[in-house]
Amino acid sequence: MEMFTQQMINALIIGSFYALIALGYSMVYGIIKLLNFAHGDLYMVGAFVGFAVLSLFGGGTGLLGVVVAFFAALLFGGLLGIGIERVAYRPLLSSPRLTILITAVGVSLVLENGVMKSFGPSFKVYPVQLPTEGFQIFGATLTYAQILIILLSVLLMTALHLFVTRSLYGKAMRAISIDHAATSLMGIPVTRIISLTFFIGSSLAAASGMMAGMYYGQISFMMGFIVGLKAFTAAVIGGIGSIPGAMLGGLVLGLLESFGTVWLGSEWKDVFAFSILILILVLKPTGLLGENVTERM
Amino acid sequence: MSQILELRDVDAFYGQVHALRGVSLRVEEGEIAALLGSNGAGKSTTLKTISGLVRAKGGSIRFLGEEITRLDPHRIVELGIVHVPEGRRVFGALTVLENLELGGFTKRKDPAFTKRTLERVMHLFPRLNERAKQRAGTLSGGEQQMLAMGRALMSDPKLLMLDEPSMGLAPIIVKEIFKIVRQINAEGIPVLLVEQNAKAALKLAHQGYVLETGQITLQNRADLLSQDEKIVKAYLAN
Repeated sequence: MEMFTQQMINALIIGSFYALIALGYSMVYGIIKLLNFAHGDLYMVGAFVGFAVLSLFGGGTGLLGVVVAFFAALLFGGLLGIGIERVAYRPLLSSPRLTILITAVGVSLVLENGVMKSFGPSFKVYPVQLPTEGFQIFGATLTYAQILIILLSVLLMTALHLFVTRSLYGKAMRAISIDHAATSLMGIPVTRIISLTFFIGSSLAAASGMMAGMYYGQISFMMGFIVGLKAFTAAVIGGIGSIPGAMLGGLVLGLLESFGTVWLGSEWKDVFAFSILILILVLKPTGLLGENVTERM
Repeated sequence: MSQILELRDVDAFYGQVHALRGVSLRVEEGEIAALLGSNGAGKSTTLKTISGLVRAKGGSIRFLGEEITRLDPHRIVELGIVHVPEGRRVFGALTVLENLELGGFTKRKDPAFTKRTLERVMHLFPRLNERAKQRAGTLSGGEQQMLAMGRALMSDPKLLMLDEPSMGLAPIIVKEIFKIVRQINAEGIPVLLVEQNAKAALKLAHQGYVLETGQITLQNRADLLSQDEKIVKAYLAN
């Protein structure tokens, strides 16, 4: 029982990280049909921005420092996302999808190597570790920091969900994902909405990276690679292009991975996760919540 | 009569095809102008060039005295030209109401106007009101055409461009759609209408243009055009 509960807690945390990154994957795929393979690196960049800001504060970082670092990571990640789209993807929007996909891989390499050059190739210890106080629940330990991570993730995802379903800009995003040209005929500035999408998706990944840095205590320039692929898997499980799907997919992957690790051993963790990706692609390519909308003409 | 829209010697390419070769036409205040021609003559490209989806390579397009030739599509909508594209292009996964809300995007800072216009559209198309919460993709073709037109009205157009509003619709629905076009025009909105159904279009329009392989070959008052022997032979025969 206690192991079950502990794995459940792990699953929720890791699932939240995956879900936050998967959202950006899914939003960008939805709006310009690009699998943005540089997206995982925004998570890494977010962790490093947090690292840099916290280091500026020195040893005595209080809660204020953490909050400042968190928002710095959000903002920097978002602006970087806008910049990447503007420089690397927008000029290629009308080229074949493969061109832009390869460009995304290139952007990923630029980000990874850029951070490696700036911060060095070794693991960095995060300046602020999360407090380990907590309480026992069914024999497992749940720390306040874990609760905070889960709550913050839920808050961010709820805010995004409300934005996309209720606000006019959110509806414009969904419209663009259906038909670019028709959306521009509504007087909607399509390129600006695409920028906004990149900002939101990238800042969510960066927020996730900052939280992961504090949670795991160490970061590296390659940390976004495998997590990015996992988030992609999560997005596919949920149904790529679907926002609730990305959230669900992240959670499902977190659960499968946590319990898979118990049964198979942690060295099989990645094999297990990517086997699930293949299974989904073979059995239900539209994912759990993805759907093919049938339209009458 | 003052003129709303004027195209002068407009050249445009559609992909590699030289689709418009020096097209000149005008739409006057309060009128319906019909643009006729066979498949591939460049009718849709003309509308797309006006709305900015296709960039003109030469010539000029003026709207209410302002040069709009090189503006982005969303800027052109802000100025008041709304283009209802061929095949309606409603957002199938969004609800009818959401489609209409998006049509009012340029008026988002004026919620009172949007509310008023939404009521007007629902009054004009009662069937959209009944189906407000339904996904647009589940509507029939005629209802989708009504939605596309209602969506266009949401931004307070000063010129409405309709591309093949009758396409694929049953004759009785076409009649209904054309009646509404006349009604919208009677409320003071000029219309540029592209139609395969030349007979019905000329009945509705004040002015007619005939487009052949990217060039205007004939223009006249619609009632005169419908008696023109060449037109009758080419477009109205059956």
